[in-house]
Amino acid sequence: MNEAMIEMHHVFKTYPSQISALSDITLEILPGEFAFIVGPSGSGKSTLLRILFCAERPTSGEVVVHGIHITQPDFKKIYQLRRTMGIVSQDFKLLRDRTVNENVAFALEITGHIREEAKSKASEILRRVGLEEREGDSILALSAGEQQRVAIARALVNSPPLLLADEPTGNLDARMTLDVMEIFTDLHQKGTTIVFATQFTGLIKRYSYRAIRLLDGRKADSHKVEEVKATG
Amino acid sequence: MMGNLFSNLITIGIIAISMLIFSTFTLLAFNLTNFLKIWEDKIEVIAYLKRGTPSSEVEPLLKKTRLLEGVETVRYVSPYDAMGFMETKLGGQKNLLEGIQPAVLPPSFEIQMKKDYRNSTKIKEVVAHLKEIPQFEEIQYGQEWVETFSVLVHILRLTQWILGGLLLIAVVFITSNTLQLTISSRREEIEVMHWVGTSPSFIRIPFYLEGLIQGFLGGGLAILFLFLLHQGLFLYIPPSMQAWLAKIPVLFLPLETIAWILLGGMVLGFFGSFVASMRVLKYK
Repeated sequence: MNEAMIEMHHVFKTYPSQISALSDITLEILPGEFAFIVGPSGSGKSTLLRILFCAERPTSGEVVVHGIHITQPDFKKIYQLRRTMGIVSQDFKLLRDRTVNENVAFALEITGHIREEAKSKASEILRRVGLEEREGDSILALSAGEQQRVAIARALVNSPPLLLADEPTGNLDARMTLDVMEIFTDLHQKGTTIVFATQFTGLIKRYSYRAIRLLDGRKADSHKVEEVKATG
Repeated sequence: MMGNLFSNLITIGIIAISMLIFSTFTLLAFNLTNFLKIWEDKIEVIAYLKRGTPSSEVEPLLKKTRLLEGVETVRYVSPYDAMGFMETKLGGQKNLLEGIQPAVLPPSFEIQMKKDYRNSTKIKEVVAHLKEIPQFEEIQYGQEWVETFSVLVHILRLTQWILGGLLLIAVVFITSNTLQLTISSRREEIEVMHWVGTSPSFIRIPFYLEGLIQGFLGGGLAILFLFLLHQGLFLYIPPSMQAWLAKIPVLFLPLETIAWILLGGMVLGFFGSFVASMRVLKYK
């Protein structure tokens, strides 16, 4: 049996204002799996992802990523953990004063790669997401869908085995959403573990991946696509 | 650094002004200490013998005085020597001394102190021993001068360090705030760095370097301004005072002190950036 890529055991997250964001979350995501985290706005999807990439610590419970107990108090090497994962968010977080290639290469340069090597590898990844024609363009010249593809390329450039995506299609129209989903599907087929948070149930109906449903910070259920479709 | 030229210039300017104030006090204290040293080097104790001390007692007394701890040389000044000295001093007006017999002048010992004893504390110790010798009537030395001057230098040094401490806090506060602005202006870039797993030191080191450079430039500017002020001082003082200053040289800070001031500026700049990075560069 495969060791889980992600394990969460009885995870609670309560903010100082006493707002409970997550309540008793227990889940497992296996290597190579594509898992949707689905729920309405404010259901705790983003908090869950932020805990997975150590942007926040849970109030209690245990979280294990890549076999590393990230919730232990002595765990300090967040940056080493982040090198094993790609992060994509709804607001892209791209550097507006740089070109498409520079944005992707930046992720390599700041982790020790020489500039030429970084640029070349960035070109390769940009080809993979269909942006080879836009490499030299400014980020500002791109559409939202294209910007999201750049963000995905940047998340992938270090070949992480795990990709965490927080509403990556939240700002995209239907056509762009399909384009981006195509990239994610392709990545999944090549073995990348993907955790994809979304509030759009339409997506989980379209793709036959496991969906972990959150409601008010609690895990409502976990279905295969057929079950989700059945429950509407 | 170039991206935030204005805020960087402000920081460098503030560091320069703070370091200039501190350096000015350092320069003053340095020169007064130097003056005190020159003055102390010339210091001598004059012990007046009681009138009527038999000449046969002079030689044993000289020997006794020479044996006192801290005494380097002792010279006997007879009433005739004293008269000759006064005539020399009065020059063309020596006729004022006409009719005065040398015998009215008391014989004395001119006592030169050893180098380590040329300060107010040690002189007092020697003078106390001299006072125990019954043949001496009065003992004179520049006691008040030495003490007043020592106190002045002490106050100046104290002011220098208190002011230095206050300026240090101000500089760290200002540098850290300016660097926070710089960091904020690069917030997006830093956030991306955090996301892709850049090591904290890789993110922080450029800011530390920025603080070090700001501190070095601020310290350097302070030294430059102080040097110009020091040079300017000689251009605007009247010639009569210049002749006086020739005897008491107004020195500029020695290289070692300059190096310490530059290093101090760098440490302040670094500390400011360190505080800023602790506040706003936490891994998120």
